[in-house]
Amino acid sequence: MIRSDAEPKARGALEYGTDLEAPGMLWAALVRSPIAHGRIVRMDLSPARKMPGVVAVVGPEDLRTLLPKAALEAERPVFPLDEIRYRGEPVAAVAAETLEQARRAAATIEPEVESLRVDARIEDIFPEWPSPAAAKDPRVVGHVHARFGDVDAKFRSAELVHSETYRTSGVHQVAIEPHACLAEVRNGTFHIRSSTQTPFGLRDDVASILGIPESRLVVEGTWVGGGFGGKGAAFLEPYAVLLAIASGRPVKLSLTFEEEFELGRTTLPSIIRLDTAVHRGRIVARRVRLLLDTGASLPGRDFAVGYSIGFLLGPYRTTAYEIEGFALQTNKPPFGPHRAPFAPQSVFALESHIDGLARRLGVDPIEFRKLHAWREGDRTAYDQPVGPIGLEAGLEAAARTAGEWRAGLPSGHGIGVAAGFWSTGVGAGGEARLWLRPDGLTILEGEREIGNGSVVQGLALVAERVLGLPVEAIRVEYGDTATAPFDSGVFGSRTLGALGQAVEKAARSLANTLATRAGAQTVQLEMKNDRVLVVAGRRRQKLVDLLTPEERAAGGIEAHGKHYGSERKIDASRVVTGTVYPYQDFTAAVHLAEVEVDRETGHVRVVRYAAFQDVGKAVDSASVTGQVEGGVVMGLGTALSEEMLWTPEARLANPGLLDYRLPRIRDVPPIHVEAIEGFAGAGPFGAKGLGEPPIIPVPAAVANAVADATGTRVYELPMTPERVARALKLL
Amino acid sequence: MSDGPLTLTINGKPQQFERVPDAERLLDTLRWRAGLKGTKEGCRTGGCGACTVLVNGEPTLSCLVLSHEVSGENVTTIEGVAAEKVGRIVIRAFAEAGAVQCGYCTPGFVVALAGQLQGDGTPPSVASLLDGLEGNLCRCTGYRAIQKAVVAAREALK
Ligand code: FES
Ligand code: FES
Repeated sequence: MIRSDAEPKARGALEYGTDLEAPGMLWAALVRSPIAHGRIVRMDLSPARKMPGVVAVVGPEDLRTLLPKAALEAERPVFPLDEIRYRGEPVAAVAAETLEQARRAAATIEPEVESLRVDARIEDIFPEWPSPAAAKDPRVVGHVHARFGDVDAKFRSAELVHSETYRTSGVHQVAIEPHACLAEVRNGTFHIRSSTQTPFGLRDDVASILGIPESRLVVEGTWVGGGFGGKGAAFLEPYAVLLAIASGRPVKLSLTFEEEFELGRTTLPSIIRLDTAVHRGRIVARRVRLLLDTGASLPGRDFAVGYSIGFLLGPYRTTAYEIEGFALQTNKPPFGPHRAPFAPQSVFALESHIDGLARRLGVDPIEFRKLHAWREGDRTAYDQPVGPIGLEAGLEAAARTAGEWRAGLPSGHGIGVAAGFWSTGVGAGGEARLWLRPDGLTILEGEREIGNGSVVQGLALVAERVLGLPVEAIRVEYGDTATAPFDSGVFGSRTLGALGQAVEKAARSLANTLATRAGAQTVQLEMKNDRVLVVAGRRRQKLVDLLTPEERAAGGIEAHGKHYGSERKIDASRVVTGTVYPYQDFTAAVHLAEVEVDRETGHVRVVRYAAFQDVGKAVDSASVTGQVEGGVVMGLGTALSEEMLWTPEARLANPGLLDYRLPRIRDVPPIHVEAIEGFAGAGPFGAKGLGEPPIIPVPAAVANAVADATGTRVYELPMTPERVARALKLL
Repeated sequence: MSDGPLTLTINGKPQQFERVPDAERLLDTLRWRAGLKGTKEGCRTGGCGACTVLVNGEPTLSCLVLSHEVSGENVTTIEGVAAEKVGRIVIRAFAEAGAVQCGYCTPGFVVALAGQLQGDGTPPSVASLLDGLEGNLCRCTGYRAIQKAVVAAREALK
């Protein structure tokens, strides 16, 4: 089935954030800090104000007069009021008649700065592994420590202890569409149009940053040219709003790719230490320690570390464990979500470690995982119940395929397996409004399709299944935050699971109303000559005939559905310090990679790939394939080539596509995609979200294949030819 | 010369623009002067292919071309490609193969592929068509569906 947005997108007919335009619009440019850490001693904005075409220039001082409340909101300042925290941090913004004029004026503003000591890397803060007392260092912005069971005793009595350290790098979402938004003030209301994954979240975020009441802010999403987590929270919008207030005109702000990279809120480097105690062939205790670079952190960075660290325990039964994580503030741009935030990195470390351990024990890596893998009814490390999960089934399917591959494996090739779990965010709430009209069904939503199909295709398919109406007769319409029903946004692989349930409920209530009116138990809808027919048993009647006079006047019948998840509980007695975050609605992914390693250059070629994805119940198999293939290839970038490189002064050395290498069309191997069904999720019909899971095991699967091919393990991402060659002692 | 007039034949129609700065890129002339926003703006540094158009039938990165450099030439954008047979076939193939997710890269891919498939005679081999798409990045699909679309479009034109 062809997605309704496919051809219009391919023809270039849809409007994205970068395409936004308004009559009388000005173009904006940002003035960015030339240093990574310091103070602004003086910044003269007046010459820029006199530049040709310039209409407004705003800096920290203007903030105080334009929006005094925003200036007081010190936690997330629009402009640094005191300290500059990373290189490229916006310190002022300009709006002019043309983009060229805005950029030229911005370039004339050269703040006089006083530099402070720069922390560029984790090692700058902690050259040695920190003791718990190190949490007092002001650069530790998050500290989490949890334990369960008699860890020390089990380590002491274990037959074998496997200890390793892994390192991961910063990677960027690199949506092909840069961030872009347009802000204007209409009758005292602030209107923002933006390429965003979360219109409602953006509204609340901008309101809090600028100190504007939410009721005076309206956000309308455009089509999104790739999000991957990077288009969630407020980013450019506050600057555009400020300039719109200062100039009295609509203001468009979009980023260059250099700015995308330098301002990027994305995955930053980490160091991970894993110790595992084994007794009688089984894991009996584990220690997991994480140092996570969270950059020029915003408040709440304990979330980054507290959420990430659980992925280091993996989807395995754990009898005794201790975890400790530190979120470290450096002078890089802030950490931010990037498709399954930090899970591919965690899983790279954990699944490399488990694989190496299995090899050390001389047991089959898949069998070793199966010994410990979560099954329904198990409890997580925080004592949450594990629901239906297709992990064992995935491992078994992978074992079969691995056996086939192994049979004809050329020398120099290797096969690697890796498993991962994900917590799909079905708990985050959402609502849907359905309009059934005599000629079809409309689903009204506040958020746009961001690409994976969960809105434009997924929601329509849910309504189709409940009502029987063909998907061609179902339209998804998008409103703004003032008119559309609330939804949390497209993130966390939640859209189909959570919003789908809202649509399902609304569709069921429509069906029930019509059934009552038709005097039947249930009804189905069908289309005939572009008219909706209501089928009750053997009776068919036109929808119009079942509508009340009011509904006929209004043009149809409306239904509203809501889904709000309940809060998940954890066993708080296991937490010593900080916050760990509960997971929910588990899904699993098991991947298999075959690689060939060039023994001279260290170059790794992925020969073929297989992904076994727990989907609960596939709502649309084409979308499953598309999500998995896309996730796998993005993961191959993380595994092999993508790496943000910072200098000791915390300057990003490769802020562009030239030196930050993404997978290209000739790089991708054949990818076998297999949906594992039968382990129902919380979504409609048992569906599970799958925007993020397919990227999670990829770096680990490739790393394990490299180890299988060479007998040597690579302990750092990405596995560039240079790193592999060094591991093979070729360099 | 500075801020001079510019003539381009865009999708078969000659168009005149007044006072176009010397440094203006073709991408911007097309999007903001001609109002043809189907050509997408990505990296602006030649790295992503989202801005691909045909200049005299040749796939070209419009972010790397100064508008005055191609003064008087024939420029075909996605809007023009979509109106012709080859373009329609390519678009259909992308839609059917599930090769369109966020869709931001798609017009660039369609133009780059249609440009190679235009003209009479046997279409180029799949390998050479894929080579011609090495400069187009897609972050959503993982390229497998795009490869299928390439094969299907080529078949349909054989
Ligand atoms: S915008 Fe032209 S190649 Fe990226
Ligand atoms: S479909 Fe999103 S970049 Fe290709």
